[in-house]
Amino acid sequence: MQSKRIGLAAVLSAFLLLSPAAASAKTLIGSGSSVAQPYLQSLFAAYHRVRPGISFLYTADGGNAGVKDVQSGRSQFAVNTRPPLPSDAGTTYVKLWLDGLCIYVNSQNKLSNLSIGELAGIFTGVSTSWSQFPGSGLSTTIDAVGRDSTAGTFSFFTAAVLNGQTQGSNVNTQASDGLVANAIKHDPNSIGYAGLARAKDPGLKKVNVNGVACAPAFVKTLKYPLSRFVWMVFPTASPDLDVQKFTDWARTSVQAGEIITKVGAVPAFNKTAHKHKKHKKH
Amino acid sequence: MDDELLFEQRLHWWSDRRAELTLGAVVCAVLAGVVAMLVFVVVQGWPSFAHNGLAWFGSGGNVDQQIKDMFSAGASGSRDVYTFHAWPLIWSTLLIVGGAVTLSLVSSLFVAVFVVEFAPDWMKQTLHPVVRLLASVPSVIYGLIGVLVIVPFVGNHLITQAEKASVSHIISLSGYSLIAGVMILTVMISPLMIAIFADGLRSVPRHWLEASLALGINRWRTFWKVGVRAARPAIVAGTVLATARALGEAVMLAMVTGSVGFAPNPFDGAIFLFEPSRPLAATILQQVEGLSSAALKHTLFAIASVLLVSAMLLSLAGWAAKQPLKKYAAA
Amino acid sequence: MSAHAATGPTSLPARTGAVESSATWRLSDRVGLAICWLLGGLFCAIAAAIVIFMLVQGIKYVRPSLFVTSPTAGFSESQTGGFLDPLIGTVVVALLGTAIALPLGVTIAVWLSEYGRPFALARAAESVVEMLAGIPDIVLALFGLLIFSSPILGFFSRTSGHVVFGRSFFAAGAMLSLVALPLIVGSTREGLQAIPAHIREASLGVGKTRFATIRRILLPTARPSVITGTMLGLGRIIGDTAIIVVLLGATLTINQGGSTPVLGVLKGTGSTLTSFIYQNSPTGEIDQPTKAYAAAFVLLVMVLALNLCVDLVGRRKKDVTWSS
Repeated sequence: MQSKRIGLAAVLSAFLLLSPAAASAKTLIGSGSSVAQPYLQSLFAAYHRVRPGISFLYTADGGNAGVKDVQSGRSQFAVNTRPPLPSDAGTTYVKLWLDGLCIYVNSQNKLSNLSIGELAGIFTGVSTSWSQFPGSGLSTTIDAVGRDSTAGTFSFFTAAVLNGQTQGSNVNTQASDGLVANAIKHDPNSIGYAGLARAKDPGLKKVNVNGVACAPAFVKTLKYPLSRFVWMVFPTASPDLDVQKFTDWARTSVQAGEIITKVGAVPAFNKTAHKHKKHKKH
Repeated sequence: MDDELLFEQRLHWWSDRRAELTLGAVVCAVLAGVVAMLVFVVVQGWPSFAHNGLAWFGSGGNVDQQIKDMFSAGASGSRDVYTFHAWPLIWSTLLIVGGAVTLSLVSSLFVAVFVVEFAPDWMKQTLHPVVRLLASVPSVIYGLIGVLVIVPFVGNHLITQAEKASVSHIISLSGYSLIAGVMILTVMISPLMIAIFADGLRSVPRHWLEASLALGINRWRTFWKVGVRAARPAIVAGTVLATARALGEAVMLAMVTGSVGFAPNPFDGAIFLFEPSRPLAATILQQVEGLSSAALKHTLFAIASVLLVSAMLLSLAGWAAKQPLKKYAAA
Repeated sequence: MSAHAATGPTSLPARTGAVESSATWRLSDRVGLAICWLLGGLFCAIAAAIVIFMLVQGIKYVRPSLFVTSPTAGFSESQTGGFLDPLIGTVVVALLGTAIALPLGVTIAVWLSEYGRPFALARAAESVVEMLAGIPDIVLALFGLLIFSSPILGFFSRTSGHVVFGRSFFAAGAMLSLVALPLIVGSTREGLQAIPAHIREASLGVGKTRFATIRRILLPTARPSVITGTMLGLGRIIGDTAIIVVLLGATLTINQGGSTPVLGVLKGTGSTLTSFIYQNSPTGEIDQPTKAYAAAFVLLVMVLALNLCVDLVGRRKKDVTWSS
């Protein structure tokens, strides 16, 4: 009786604990930009269909946090939205695609254009009332929404708009791109910066910067002042081969290019499917 | 026949001595595990305390900026990066927890007296399970109600444009404020306190109350002076439990207090109630992704050890407060 | 003979209609009574408001399709799917936490109440369990994150190369068991201590060993207390958010770590109803309040059901009498 029970237990544990022979299944662990997350989710799903053995685990904790994770060995790859800095020692940056950092206001706000200087004034606490911007049609206090220092977007914004000044304490910092979009949606007096993928949200309205609209056409030619690359980051010493294969696929394949375009950004190096489209480039 | 033999064998194998040792070993293992965890947390937090000394609890500099610097330093970085003055976070915790516990204590006492004594019978029957249900509702649901109901109410109806404009250079006032946090925390810990107070009041010996009534003392005084006095151990226990719960509340407060490391200034007048802040537990929750930076990791564990020590001091204080009340223990 | 109201032996006798009028009282007493009624009424109003609000919002937004669809990423309500995975996640995490906490808790309670020597160890165990009850769950979550991210415990979560993800159902379940442990220990101890000594003496008198007494007589008798403690612990596990948010890896759907049936899920990441509500609230990423309300309603129903079970089991416990 007892030996039967032991036998049953052994079979059950073998069933539960031993993985089947198809052990080529691999998980790639990454972290980083929340701006890139909508794109990455679709890219991961598509790549899984191309190579069923590879699955991804991605934590969107912010571009800078992702790079720190790669440096400390907590992630195999990271995605960041600012160019490399000296503090990123030990990592290799590879360009993936082009994204535009759009300035969004609530859809009730009639503002249509801001200069970089005016934007800097808002986000350093110098301009605090919408009455200073007659185009908005509001006279309430400005609620500025931004990111915190874990975000690559934050570093990019500080460098490109604030010219190195610190973001004011009046800015309501949010932990991710999606949270910035949500905050703007709920507050008619708000203004904030988020990626191109959020442009599809009906509660948000894009504002032109220096007269140029935040649209894929202008980002592609880098006419839009806040255009930036999205980068793939992995450790310089012994990077994972599958990560590099995925990077190449995402940068250059046709399928990845279509996904990137569909979600909203601009493929930079991807081949296109139809030959005649190449002649339309300027 | 096999079964009988096996039964005898089993009987001898599980002798009392062996059983006691095995059970004792399991208890020791769990004990050792928990103590190891406490020691680990304090040891991991020690570098932050060692670098800052008592100034860790003081104020100085922008606490958000200090966290940013720690995060940017990454795995390496000079010792300077460990500078951390947690006063805004501590002050926020004291305000929110202190305010909620005080409000809750006073109102829960009256409500408990109401529920046990002065309510009509039909109300007593319904309130008893309702209080128990509310005490076991998860805190995230209170957070949801807070974010969807209280925060917009405070933001749209209580904060005026003038108030917002007057502090707009420093912080932005929205519904995510001190008062929203205190209100929701009060509503959250009140059912717990009411349940414990009511249990304590119900276990007051009936003949004490009847004797007081027989002496001609009116119902209110009887209940207040005799009943509540006798139930003081339960009141202390309920307060300690509720304070411990409020202290450790991270998720709900992260949702409603706005996440700025700002120390609300009582001298700001009415605006003081609407200022955003961030208590200690919510800070840990929101910075938990920065563990790859050594300085931030040590700082987060330092905050965790402050919470741990506070919880331990609380239960010690509760035990100490109950000692002189021992003579009121119900017969 | 006046009838006694069914409010227990320690409350004042039932009113026969002649209530002591407060007209003759001092002003301070009347003010006290008025405040009592005011606050009591306010509490009833707030409690009713909360319950009715959650009920109405839940009924408005709960649909059967939500229970069987997985959550998906999307912008609008119709695109974001249901909460099947968070529901499964809640069940998995509750089962795992209870599976770890129950044996440990009963063992500790049995040892404390039946053996308990040396005394120093017993007192230390009591204090530590009580301390565990007061530890904030965010501290447990932080500690759990650090130890489960170390390579030694890499088996319990997904790994890739030398990177340990550290967040999985195992990690969350282990820390949640610590949250439920004090409740199980307390309740089981109460149940064991309520059994009179002569039962144990009678059992020893007929020749059973102490351990056999515990196993065959005491524990089965204390079963209602064990069940009550387990349900209380279960309630606390289901309602916990901080440990889930930190240790479960916030993936919308259950992401298996490996293809073995049970172990894969346990090593993988996912979400529970509480983290789903957190993500769907306006301060969360997804910001779909309708889904949050629906999930909150389901969670409340689960908590209510657990409370009812505790009540039922408690009522049955009172029926047990000891003849002496």
